[in-house]
Amino acid sequence: MTAKERQEIVLAPAERDLILGSLEHDQLAGLKKHNIPRRKLKGPELVVLWSLRIYLLFMLAVVLYQVLHGAN
Amino acid sequence: MPEALTPLDSTRPGASPAAEVVITHEDVDRGHDRVRVRAARAQKGIFGNARLLWLLLGPGVLVMLGENDGPSMLSYAATGAQFGIGFFLPFVVLTFAMAIVVQEMTVRLGSATHRGHAELIFDRFGPFWGWFSLVDLGIGNFLTLITEFIAIRAGLGFFGVPPWIAILCALALLYSALLTHRYWTWERITLTIAVGNLVFVPVALLAHPDWHSVGHAFATWKPLPGGLTQNTLILMLADIGATVTPWMLFFQQSATVDKGLTRKDIRFGRIDTVLGAFLATAAAVATILVTSLLFTHHMNAANFQAAEFAQALRPLIGRVGASLFALGIVEAGMVACVTISTSSAYAFGEVARRPHSLNLPIGEGRSFYSVLFLCAAVAAAIVLIPGLPLVYVVLLVNVIAVLAMPPALVFLYLLVNDREIMGDLVSPGWANAFALIVVVSLTGAGVLFGLSVIAPHLFALLGGK
Repeated sequence: MTAKERQEIVLAPAERDLILGSLEHDQLAGLKKHNIPRRKLKGPELVVLWSLRIYLLFMLAVVLYQVLHGAN
Repeated sequence: MPEALTPLDSTRPGASPAAEVVITHEDVDRGHDRVRVRAARAQKGIFGNARLLWLLLGPGVLVMLGENDGPSMLSYAATGAQFGIGFFLPFVVLTFAMAIVVQEMTVRLGSATHRGHAELIFDRFGPFWGWFSLVDLGIGNFLTLITEFIAIRAGLGFFGVPPWIAILCALALLYSALLTHRYWTWERITLTIAVGNLVFVPVALLAHPDWHSVGHAFATWKPLPGGLTQNTLILMLADIGATVTPWMLFFQQSATVDKGLTRKDIRFGRIDTVLGAFLATAAAVATILVTSLLFTHHMNAANFQAAEFAQALRPLIGRVGASLFALGIVEAGMVACVTISTSSAYAFGEVARRPHSLNLPIGEGRSFYSVLFLCAAVAAAIVLIPGLPLVYVVLLVNVIAVLAMPPALVFLYLLVNDREIMGDLVSPGWANAFALIVVVSLTGAGVLFGLSVIAPHLFALLGGK
């Protein structure tokens, strides 16, 4: 028995229809297992993402310097 | 006409036949919530719309009032005390306008994909970028959680409550809201506490602000006493960090999904976000107005902590006003504890592919609730360690949030413009232009701050002091 089956709730047919009818397909927890297909990042997107990553690391170093400077 | 009760569309590609679908506890709770929404939508007129708004509001108000947290209220208090009524009043309103632009995108993403933010980044861009985002979120959330407990401890300390009792009370409240294991109930309990953030509005009225100066500040963005200095920049960054932070993106999208919002609900999701921003702006502006009294009375509040603000305000606004101010700080820390630890738990569950919903019974959502419990408990324990220099964490947490925001916004921008997952809900050109302005402004503010630290002379040449 899988973990998902252990979580299954047995409902009366009318309530089962009510729940299935009120939720969209992708809202059911059991159907969220599949991954959304991966998308390849384009060149300019990678440049922006890497630039911002470097910016973040550099700025964190600046903040750390500021903290140590302030502490001293 | 009520919406038709359509059975699950098993003809859709990838869909399982209805008979094979496993229905979990989480689905049942969410399904019942959606039945109520559908009934409200069938009820036309003003009462139908009011009921629909009541049922659908939540994530937007919670995220905005949640972001008016301990360090944020401290930033606003420091702003008012150091600069008085002037430039920072319209500036804070502008930062909330930025927050609306950003958070609206998460409503659309969550409603269109029914997936959380962390899950979408991992699936769409792969684990390499996914882990970067998650580490940013995890570190930011943990530091922020520590500051929330500091705020609670300081706020209750004003009333003479010992630190360990203050922290235990906060943890007990956080955990008891979760014990309902029902998203709807948890949301209503947290909303009730969150509305307490508006306590700063009556406190502002007790301070009898000069309304002429308030009007002048909004009309002219002046004065800015001392001009553009490193201290001004730090407070600007802290105020931006008080309104737009990475955890907000993750929380609102995951809460939108957990609540079960669909494409039909996006209009109400937007109203929810704008309403939350309006309430949070009112509380932020009120806090600046209150502490501007300290500026007027030339009191040096540069190194004040939360409780010290309340104590300093006591001779100026009375015991009731000062007590309400301290209570407001406690409330700010409490709501943020709930929302930030929940955002960490959502993100962990989405990435680890473990069940992640506030509709889960404790037994089924062990990993989700464990992350939530542990985050809060460890942050709370750190606050109780005597002698730790926690003051630096409080001052820096908003600045770090601003620095981490541009990379997070780029992922949001890429996702919300991804036609394969968003369909016709991709961002229109004007929304992208606003998003671009927000990214450039945040990055620019960060670079200016860096310049002021690394090359103060160059910064002075550029117009700073």
